[in-house]
Amino acid sequence: MFREFKSIYNLNWIYVFILLIIFWIGEINLYSAAGGSLDPWASNQLIRFLFFLPLFFLVTMLEPKFIYNFAEIFLILVLIGLITTLIFGYTGMGATRWIRIAGFNLQVSEFTKIALVIFMAKYFHKLNAEKTIGLFKSILPLLVSIIFFLLVAIQPDLGTAVIILALGLVVIFYAGIKLIYPLLSLGIILSISPILWTFLKPYQQNRIQIFLNPDLDPLGKGYHIIQSKIAIGSGGLQGNGFLEGSQSSLDFLPEKETDFVFAIFSEQFGFTGSILLISLFFIMFLIPILKTYKLTQVFNKIILFVLSFKIFFEFLINISMTIGILPVVGVALPFMSYGGSSLLSNLIICALLLNFMSINENKRMFS
Amino acid sequence: MEKNKTSEDSIKILNRRSFIIIIFAAILSLIVSLRLFSLQVINFNFYKKKSVENKLSIKLIPPLRGDIYDSKKNLLAGSSSLYEFVVFKNLSKDHLHEIKKLDSLIKLKLNFGEISKQLKKYNEYSGFSLSRASWEQIVEFEKNKFLFNSIKIIESKKRYYPYQNFSQIIGYMGQPTQSSEIYSKGVFHLERSYEKHLRGTPGKIFSEVNAKGKTIREISIEKSIKGNDLDLTLDLNLQNYAQSQLPSDKKGSIVVINVSDGSILSMNSNPTFDAQIFEDRKNNKIKDLLNDDQKPLLNRAFSGFYPPGSVFKPISALVGLQKNLIDTKKEVFCKGHSSLGDRKYYCWKKEGHGKVNLKKAIKESCDVYFYELAKKTNIDDIASLSTNLGLNKEYDIGLSNIGKGLVPSKKWKRAFLDEGWYQGETLITCIGQGYNQTSPLQLATLYSAILNGGKYPIPKINKNTPTRFTGKSLNNEHKKIIINSLNAAVQEPRGTAYKLSISNPAFVKIGGKTGTSQVIRIKESEREDDEYKLKQIEERFKDHSLFVGYAPYNNPKYIASVIIENGGSGSAVAAPIAHRVLDFAHKNNV
Repeated sequence: MFREFKSIYNLNWIYVFILLIIFWIGEINLYSAAGGSLDPWASNQLIRFLFFLPLFFLVTMLEPKFIYNFAEIFLILVLIGLITTLIFGYTGMGATRWIRIAGFNLQVSEFTKIALVIFMAKYFHKLNAEKTIGLFKSILPLLVSIIFFLLVAIQPDLGTAVIILALGLVVIFYAGIKLIYPLLSLGIILSISPILWTFLKPYQQNRIQIFLNPDLDPLGKGYHIIQSKIAIGSGGLQGNGFLEGSQSSLDFLPEKETDFVFAIFSEQFGFTGSILLISLFFIMFLIPILKTYKLTQVFNKIILFVLSFKIFFEFLINISMTIGILPVVGVALPFMSYGGSSLLSNLIICALLLNFMSINENKRMFS
Repeated sequence: MEKNKTSEDSIKILNRRSFIIIIFAAILSLIVSLRLFSLQVINFNFYKKKSVENKLSIKLIPPLRGDIYDSKKNLLAGSSSLYEFVVFKNLSKDHLHEIKKLDSLIKLKLNFGEISKQLKKYNEYSGFSLSRASWEQIVEFEKNKFLFNSIKIIESKKRYYPYQNFSQIIGYMGQPTQSSEIYSKGVFHLERSYEKHLRGTPGKIFSEVNAKGKTIREISIEKSIKGNDLDLTLDLNLQNYAQSQLPSDKKGSIVVINVSDGSILSMNSNPTFDAQIFEDRKNNKIKDLLNDDQKPLLNRAFSGFYPPGSVFKPISALVGLQKNLIDTKKEVFCKGHSSLGDRKYYCWKKEGHGKVNLKKAIKESCDVYFYELAKKTNIDDIASLSTNLGLNKEYDIGLSNIGKGLVPSKKWKRAFLDEGWYQGETLITCIGQGYNQTSPLQLATLYSAILNGGKYPIPKINKNTPTRFTGKSLNNEHKKIIINSLNAAVQEPRGTAYKLSISNPAFVKIGGKTGTSQVIRIKESEREDDEYKLKQIEERFKDHSLFVGYAPYNNPKYIASVIIENGGSGSAVAAPIAHRVLDFAHKNNV
C-alpha cells in the first residue's frame, strides 16, 4: 500500500516550499483579518494544518497502484457521504453541507472533486484510446459528473457543484474528446441561454442582475461585491500595508475570513502583492503540469494535470468573485480561506500531486 | 495498475489539450490581473474616497444658542442644563430588564410597549432618552448606580426663560422634527426672526467607525461656536411692573417707547403665557394654551387692532391745520350733537361743551368740534397723514403676527367694500371710530411722531439696530398747538385726564389723550362720561378704554400706550395705568 520511506527524498521539495509560502501568506492574512490577532482564525487554521500534516505525508507515500485500484471505491464512499449529508447533514446558513465525523464537521463535496477526478482518470486510462475519443465513450463520465453536480447543487452549494461539473468536463476535454463536441455544446448553451433565462426563478434572475449591477441592491446581495471592490480598490498599487486595511478591520467586509479573504490580502498588499500571489499560484499550477509531459500513462497524466488545475481554477474563480467579474457563488481561496474541509482536501490534492510527480514510469512501478 | 501501451498519437493529443487549457488559464489570469489593475491603479482614487467615506463618521455637536438680554444685561433667555436618563443598547444585553428596574426604583411611569418598540429602531451605539431626570431622581439613581450598566444620566442643553412676561416678545423654540436635526429652532417672535443670529455653528467630531457604526477612534474635533447674544431695548423692571398694572381679569396691552430713538422699553399683553412649557414639553399645558379662547399667544401690543377712538383726534386736527380748515381762535358751538343731512351725530357730553376752540376740543375731547371739521375734510388727507405719522404700517422688528391695521380711504373702500365714500363716514373716522384699526404699538408711534414734529424714529427692539427716522416734518406751529392741547388735557381743569394730576400729584407730570372706543353703538352721548356705568351691558360689548400719554410733559422722553379691552372709559381705566407706568419709567430712568 505504501512506498518505501526513502522515496520521500524524491518529493518535489520546491513544490512543498511554494505550498508552505502560500499557506504562510494565508496565515498572515487571517491574522490581519482578525485585526492583528491569532484568535480566532489564524491559530485554528494552523492547528488544523499541523494536525493534517501526517495525513499529508501518508498520502504522498501511497502506492499509485493503490489509488488506481480503489478509484471506484472512493467514488462510492463520497456518494454515500453526499447522500448522508443530505439526509442527516448539519445545516448552516441555509444549506446542508456538513456531516459530523469523529468530532469534525466534514464537507463531503470538497472530497467529491478528488474522487471524481481519480475515477475518471481510471476510466479514460482503461479506454486505452488510440486517438480522440468519441461522444459515446464520454457519456458515462459525463453522466457521473452531472449526478454529483446535482447532489451538491441541491444542498444547495452551487459554487462547489459548478466546480465539480467543470472538473468533470476538463477531464473529458483533457482526455481527448473530439473537439467538435465541446464546441457544439458551447454553441448550444449560448443559443438557448435566453430561453433558460425565462425558466429561472425570479430570485435567481435577481441574483444574476445584481451580479451584473451590484448597485441595484447596495445593502443586500450587492453589498458583498461593493464592499469587496472598495477594499481591493483602496489598496492601490502598493497596498495600505500590513494590518492597515481599514475596510476589513472595520468589519465592512462580510465573510472576510472565508470567501472574501482575497480582499483582505489585496487591501493590505495592493496590486503588486496581488500579482505576486497570482504568480505564485501560477507557478504552483505549472510545476505538476510540466511533469505530465514526461509521463505516458493516461491515469498519471490526468491526475497530475486536472488536480493541479483544480487548485489554480478555484483560486481564479474566487478572486473573480471578489473583484466582481463572476457572481458570488461561494468558492474558497485554496490555503487562504478559513475552513477545515477546504484545507484538508487541498492538502490531500497537493499530496497526490507530489506523489505522482515522483513517479518514474520507466522503473518498477508498472511491473 | 495496468500499464497501457498508450499510442504516441494519444499522448500527443493529451499534451496538446494540456497546452490549450494552460493558455485558457493564462488568459483567465490575465483578465483577473487587468481587472485588478483597473480597480487598484486606474480607479484607485475613486475607491480610496469610497473607503474613507465608509469609515468616516461626522457627528455634529449642537452649538450653544446665544443669550437674550434686556437693555441692562439682565438675562431674558439663556441655556440651562437638562439631565436625562439615557439607555445605550450596546452596554448591556439586559437593557430592557434594567429599564424596568429603573422604573420601579424611581417611578418614572414609563410606557414599556412604546419604549421597546422605539428601541428596536435605534442604533446600538446612540443612546435613547427615557425620561427627564430631576435632582432627586439623580440622587436616587447615583445611590443605585451599580444596578445599571446600560443606563446613564446625560446632560444636554435646553432653552431657559427666567421671566414669563417676555414670552410674547421673545417667543419660543420648536422641537426638532427630524432625527437629523441636532438642535431645535426658534419658531415664534424673536427666537424665530433672530434664528441665524442666535443659533451658532455646530461643532464636528470626526471619527472612524466600523460597519456597525461603533466608534473605533476619534480623529479630530471641531469645537462648536456659541451663537451671538441679542441685546434688547426692553427693560426688565419696567416690563414686569407694567404687566402687574394690567388688570388680570381683562384683556389689554401696554407699550412704552422712547421718544428720541424709538426703542421699545416694554410691551405687555394680557393674558400671557409661559414659553418654558414648550421647552419642558408639558404637552397638556401646550394643548390648553393652543386651545385657549382668550388667545394668550396673541400679543395685543402689535397683533391686537382696535378703533383708536379719541386718541385719533390729533390727526384730524393736524389735517385741519394743514389744509387751513381751522382757525385756532374761531370757536364752534357744541350743543351735544351735530347734524349731517337728516342724521344726528352726538357728542359724548349730551348737554354739550358750549363754545369750543381747537385746544378745548382736544383737551375736553369734544366730538362736535371734530364733526364740524370733518364736514370740510377729505378722508384721503386723513389717510395720507396717518400713514406719514406711523399708522397703517407693519414694523419689521422681528415679531411674529405683527399687523398693519387700517386707515380708511376712498380707494380702500372701493377696493375692499366696492362702495363709494360717504361724508358721514368721515365724521366718525375723525373721532377715531368707524373703519379705523390701530394697535397700541402704532398709537405709541403716532404720538412719538407728533412729539418729534413729524420725522419720527422707527420703533426698534434690538438695541444694536441703528436709530432711523422716517416721515415728513410737520409745521412747528401746528405741532406746538397740538402738544399744548394734549398737555392741557392732563394738566388743566376740565381736561379729560385732569383727574390724574389731582389724584397723584407726586407723579411725573404727563400729557396725553384719552380714548373710549365703541364696540357697539350704545348711546353716543354717554361714551366718555366718567360716571357712566355699563354694568347692565354684557362685558364683551363694553367700550375699550385707551390712553396714550407721554412724560415728562415739558420734555417728553417716554410714551405709554394703553388699551384695556372692554374696560370702559379711557379716563377712568387706561389713563391711571399709563400714568403709573410712565411714573415708574421716569423714576427708574429706564
